[in-house]
Amino acid sequence: MELFTPDFGLVFWMFVAFILLFLVLAKWGWPVILKSMDSRADTIDKGVEYAREAKEQLDNARAEAQKYVEEARERQAEMLRDAAKMKSQIIEEAKKEASAEASKVMEAAKVSIEQSRKEAELQFRNEVSKFSLDIAEKMVRKQLQDDKSQQELVNKMLDEIEKN
Amino acid sequence: MLLAALLIGFAAPARAAGHGDSEKEGVDVKEIIFHHLGDGYGWEVPFSHVYRIPLPVIVRAQDGAWFCFSSSKLTYVTVEEDMADGKKSEYLSQAIYTAEKNGKEYHFMLPHVSDNAGKVVQVWPLTDAEQAELHARAIAETKADPKKAEHSVAISGYAYDATTGKYFKEYRPLDFSITKNVLALLIAAVVVTAMVMSLVRYYRRKGMKAPRKGMGFMEMLVNFIYEGVIKNTLGPKAPKFAPFLLTCFFFILVMNLLGLIVIFPGGANLTGNIAVTLVLAVLVFIVTNINGNKEYWKEILWPDVPIWLKCPLPIMQMIEIFGMFTKPAALCVRLFANMMGGHMIVITLTLLIFIFAAFGVAATGGSVVISVLFSIFMLALDVLVSFIQAYVFTMLATIFISMAVAEHEHHDASEHKAA
Repeated sequence: MELFTPDFGLVFWMFVAFILLFLVLAKWGWPVILKSMDSRADTIDKGVEYAREAKEQLDNARAEAQKYVEEARERQAEMLRDAAKMKSQIIEEAKKEASAEASKVMEAAKVSIEQSRKEAELQFRNEVSKFSLDIAEKMVRKQLQDDKSQQELVNKMLDEIEKN
Repeated sequence: MLLAALLIGFAAPARAAGHGDSEKEGVDVKEIIFHHLGDGYGWEVPFSHVYRIPLPVIVRAQDGAWFCFSSSKLTYVTVEEDMADGKKSEYLSQAIYTAEKNGKEYHFMLPHVSDNAGKVVQVWPLTDAEQAELHARAIAETKADPKKAEHSVAISGYAYDATTGKYFKEYRPLDFSITKNVLALLIAAVVVTAMVMSLVRYYRRKGMKAPRKGMGFMEMLVNFIYEGVIKNTLGPKAPKFAPFLLTCFFFILVMNLLGLIVIFPGGANLTGNIAVTLVLAVLVFIVTNINGNKEYWKEILWPDVPIWLKCPLPIMQMIEIFGMFTKPAALCVRLFANMMGGHMIVITLTLLIFIFAAFGVAATGGSVVISVLFSIFMLALDVLVSFIQAYVFTMLATIFISMAVAEHEHHDASEHKAA
């Protein structure tokens, strides 16, 4: 049957057509297409890789920033805590110092007061005794001749007053 | 496609009536189918069964002279007017083309009744006595087999001219004619070149930008075949064989698809012609065996089997060598049978209308609807088959080549794939 017996002319032309087509496409067609497709695929791959890396870096940077913020916050809290501690400590110390100072001052004041009091007392005593002597002298001068026994008596009386 | 299916139908009964001397009433299904599947010296035009686009006939006569003439010289159209109803009918008849070269006369014709029916033959006129003898032989053969009509019997070595009613001595010349199939082949080659080159031009012009739409589809196909088939199977050797395999794929695909278009640029049943698939298979065979490495030839000539299978009697060698040829032969027959089958089914479905026409109007109406629907379905299926067959051919060719060039460590993998 005609269909199953290859026709010589058609075989010849098919061969010629295919070889020509192959030569033309193998020279100018397929290599260009395959190279272009390959290079584009490479570019895309590289782009994806680059994007992935960039994202990774960004994520890293973000994490790092987060870490820094966290750290800063911690440090801040610590500092605040320290400051508070220091404040209370300083206050405490100041209080202590102040109280010590105050007690010292009080002490000194007490001492000086005591001293002044004593001095005043002494002076007052002298003066009182002098006044009283004077008074007594003036009063008694006329009455008493014996100055000396009078003064002893007055002193004795003054001592009694003082004891009271 | 609907139009196309109908077109075949319109052309069919008229042609049958025109040619079939004996079967004027019925539809000669076989002849119509084989006419559509076969080659021709002219290209049919729509809505006419007699007019053809003439194509050049290139032949080498018996004494070595070359001739090139238009195929329209071999036929002529007669228009007959029916006296009763004034209906005009056109017939295609044979003509004998006479050419003169170096003072000698050469006659060519396109016989219907001959061993070379449908092919251009060189003919020589016979004497009256020889004519009478041949007529007698034809009548005798007709009587021996009542199914055969007179003058439909081919007598070996002679061509019968129905127009003049004479026998001629015939010789089938070397025929390089640009037939319908050859022209379709060249058109397909041009289409493939245009497709590929347009993509190349796009890359040259636009560089890295990815193509869209049609070009994108083309690129997708290239990528599908190159990445999915060639690179996967051949690995690092892919660039060496990619041009051949890609050319195979696109040439087959375009030929398949062109065959599905019924009017001019298409309609030739190219990949359903064994000559075309044979050349493709032979090329695959050549590429495979030229590139076969030491391992490949060792597997064939001294395979790894028990010694008694190969030493005194080369049983395995015979099997392996037989296998070398059966692989491409399977490629050839697979593509041929698939594509021819598809065409045949569509034509047969359309012809059903004219077969059922004999049973009345209702049967005709019903069969028209069913046939057209089935034809459309089959044509759509054939589009799919066109892709699949081109793909399968390329894939198997790739596997055969990969088996021939594989290094030993890859050998098992590729053989596994082939299985």
